[in-house]
Formats: sequence, C-alpha cells, structure tokens
Amino acid sequence: MSAWGFVFLAYGIVWFALLVYLGNVKRRFRKVERELSSLRSSGGLKKNA
Amino acid sequence: MELLKQTLWVLWKDLLLELRRRESILAMFFFGTLLLFVFHFAFEIPAEKAAEMAPGLLWLAFLFTGTLGLTQLFQAERENHCLDALLLSPMDRASLYLAKVFFNLFLMLLIELVVFPLFWVLFNLAFWNLLPSLFLVAFLGTIGFCVLGTLFSAVTLKARARELLLPLILFPLMIPVILATVRGMEIILRTGKFEEAFSWLRLLIGFDVIFFTVGFLIFEWVIEA
Amino acid sequence: MAGTMQKRGRGRRVTGILALAFILVGLYFALIEAPPDAYQGEVQRIMYVHIPSILTAYLSFFIVFIGSCLFLWKREKRDDILARSAAEIGVLFTSLTIIEGSIWGKPTWGVWWTWDARLTLTAILLLIFVGYLMLRSLIEDENRGAVCSAVVGVIGFLDIPLIHMSVYWWRTLHQPPSILRPDKLPWENVHPSMLIALAVNFAAFILLYFYLLSLRFRVGEMEEEVKTLKLYGGAS
Repeated sequence: MSAWGFVFLAYGIVWFALLVYLGNVKRRFRKVERELSSLRSSGGLKKNA
Repeated sequence: MELLKQTLWVLWKDLLLELRRRESILAMFFFGTLLLFVFHFAFEIPAEKAAEMAPGLLWLAFLFTGTLGLTQLFQAERENHCLDALLLSPMDRASLYLAKVFFNLFLMLLIELVVFPLFWVLFNLAFWNLLPSLFLVAFLGTIGFCVLGTLFSAVTLKARARELLLPLILFPLMIPVILATVRGMEIILRTGKFEEAFSWLRLLIGFDVIFFTVGFLIFEWVIEA
Repeated sequence: MAGTMQKRGRGRRVTGILALAFILVGLYFALIEAPPDAYQGEVQRIMYVHIPSILTAYLSFFIVFIGSCLFLWKREKRDDILARSAAEIGVLFTSLTIIEGSIWGKPTWGVWWTWDARLTLTAILLLIFVGYLMLRSLIEDENRGAVCSAVVGVIGFLDIPLIHMSVYWWRTLHQPPSILRPDKLPWENVHPSMLIALAVNFAAFILLYFYLLSLRFRVGEMEEEVKTLKLYGGAS
C-alpha cells in the first residue's frame, strides 16, 4: 500500500469511528429526551388527577 | 493499639480456619506446581535458557496461584452473612483489610518458599546461593500483589463473573510489579550482584508503600458498598 | 435550573461548531498544507491525529480520576456520570490511538505492532479503561457499581506514573535504539505549517472531546432523571 494509502486509512478510521460514536450519542440523546418529556407530561397529569 | 489487636484477631481466625481445612493452601500449592509442569511442556526450555526464563515463569506461576488465593480470600465472609456481621460490629474496616493482606501474603510466601526450590530442582538450575536475594525480590513483589489484590478482591466481591473480572482488572495495574520483579530477578541471576537491581527494587518498594496506603484508606468505602 | 441547562446546551453547540471548524482547517493543514516529512514521508501525517488522540486519551483518564475522587468523597451522582462518560469516550480515543499508531508503524517500522514503550503504554491504558467499564456492567447494584469502578478509576490513575516508569525502563534497557529514531520529534528545522497543523488538530480534538463529553454527560444526567421519575413517579 502506498504512503497516502496508509494516511487515508488512518484518517478514515478515525473520523468514521468518531462520527459513528457521535451518531450513537445523539440517538441516545433524542431517545432519552423523548422519554423524559413523556414522563414529565404524564407525571404532571398524575399529579393533577 | 486497637487496630493492631483487631487485625491480629481477624488474622488469627483466618489462619485457624486455614489450618483446620487447608483448602486454600493445598489448592494453591498444587496449582502452582501444576503450572510448573505445564510450563515445562508448553515451553521447550533448553538448559542454557532456563536461568533466563526462570524469573518470568516463576512469577507467572505465582501470579496465577495468587489470583486463585484472592478469589478465595473473602470466601469465609461471604457465607452465612459473616461480612454483614463483621460490618455491624464496631470493628475498624481497615483492620479487616490488613488482616486479609497479611493472610494472603502469608499463604503466598509459604507457597513461594516451597515452589522456588522445587523450580530449581525441576529445571536443573544452579545458583542456589542466589536464592535468598531472589526470594527477597519476590517477597517485595508479593507484597505489591497482595496489597492491590486484596483491595480488588473486595471490589469484585459482588460482581458477576468475578473469577474473570478480578484478573482482568488487577493484572494491568500489576504491570509495574511484574516488570520490576522479573527484571530484578533476572539481573540478579545474570550478574550475581544485588546492587544492580536496586532501581527496580526501589520501584517495587514505592509501589508497595503507595498502594498499601491507598488500599488502607479506600478499603472502608469498598467493603461497605 | 432550566436557565443553566439552556446555557450549557448553548455552550455545547458553540463548542461543537468550533470543533467542526477546527477539524476542517486541521484536515486542510494536515493533508495539504504541511509538507511531507524528510525521513518518514507522507506517512508522518498520521501524527497529526495520533498525537492529539493520545493526549485526549490521557485527558480523559484524568477526568475519570477527578470524577472518581469527587464521587468517592461526596457521593454525588453527577460525578459518577462524569467519570462514566469520560471512561466511555476515553476507550474510544485510546483505541483510535492504538489503531493510528499501528497503521503508522507498518510503513515506518515494517510491522503492525511492536512492544515499544508508547504503544505498550497506550494498550495498558485501554485495558484499565475497559476494566473500569466492565466492572460497572457486571455489578448489579447501581451504587456499588459506581463506588467500585470509582476505586478502579482512582487507583488506575495513581498507577499510571509507575506503569510509565517501569515500561520505559524496560524498553530502554532492552531495546537497541532504532536507526530511524521515529520517536524523536525534531523541533528544530521544522516547517511552520507542520507546527500549525499539529496545533490546529490538537485544538480540534480537544474541542471535539469536550463536545462529546458534554453531550454524553447530558445523556447520562437525563437517563438518571428518567430512572428517578420511573421509580418515584410524578414530576421531579
């Protein structure tokens, strides 16, 4: 493999992994945000009921 | 002092139990010897290389044997809620730590005292005169092992797969001890002089002191969790 | 309470945007502007991600240490979440460091792996991180898991200087100095754009790290809140 090949391999892996992780965390973020808001609103209802 | 009294009391209890049932010590001893046999089959060790490889193989055997001892360390306390009983008493938690460290140290030293000469005989090594210095290095390393090992034995006490988890966590942290002990022994075997290994020994002693202190302070939080 | 959350969210977004900017500029400098190294050629460009990666990994471990210490001292859930998040991201950056080092090593030394001090130390760091996370996942009681992994975090960090010393002594006493001396960073006669590339990429990684950490931390906080709400019902 040429020198540039190694460079692109390294850079590719790094940024791919970081992007995947970022996507993962963002997905978790949205999921927990949804859960939290639904719990909060239903919780509020329970209190009023 | 009170701490010493409590430590001795717990230590005495463990020693008495061990004396009567001899579970740990026998298992550890046979396991250590078995490892030596396995090493002989696994590694083709020509006579000239035996002295070179001796420290590493010996220390490996002690490490695995010691880990066996560590997983058994709090066994008595786990049964019948003994640990809860101990914690309910006004006993200083640190004395439990000290007692366990000394107990494991005692077991390992006994085994090392036997396995060292055994190794020498099995692998046809000379340098019998160097054994005391080698043993001293191993002693310092064993202290480091017991000091951290006891702490992590308590840390993994209620974890699943603790027989796997304990070495997984302990071994990377033990690397200074492994390196220092094996290199120290190697230098002594190679040069016959104790002084050359001093830098490694200083590292060992530093390790022992630091983690003995840390373990002593932290154990209380671990065991009460 | 809501005010600080918003401020934090805003700070996070700013960090994220800055990170992206620095990343792009950094990529330009690393791949285009900086000249190839006199000895190592183009492969040396990997250093522009490798060095920031390893520094970020160590920074992460430091944060695990701080979080663990604070947690053991004050037992506030927040510190535990910080330590946990930093450990997770730390595993990521440490693994990347090893992979980058390995890829750099193949054309430079001819092998994918060598037991030189730097790679070995990074591998050990990874093992300690992994131990931290595994301990967490294998202890069922939440609180106990937090305390026990905090112990690993503290002791692991205290051990690192000792591990460093022992591994370096071991390698320098046994390994003959390599002909190329690829470990040496020549600070004299360095083209300025190489230094700029390094600096910009370093800033990029640090910014990205804090962005990820703050995001992951927020997720942890919210997950804790969800758990509390489910347990006790009603609004917090």
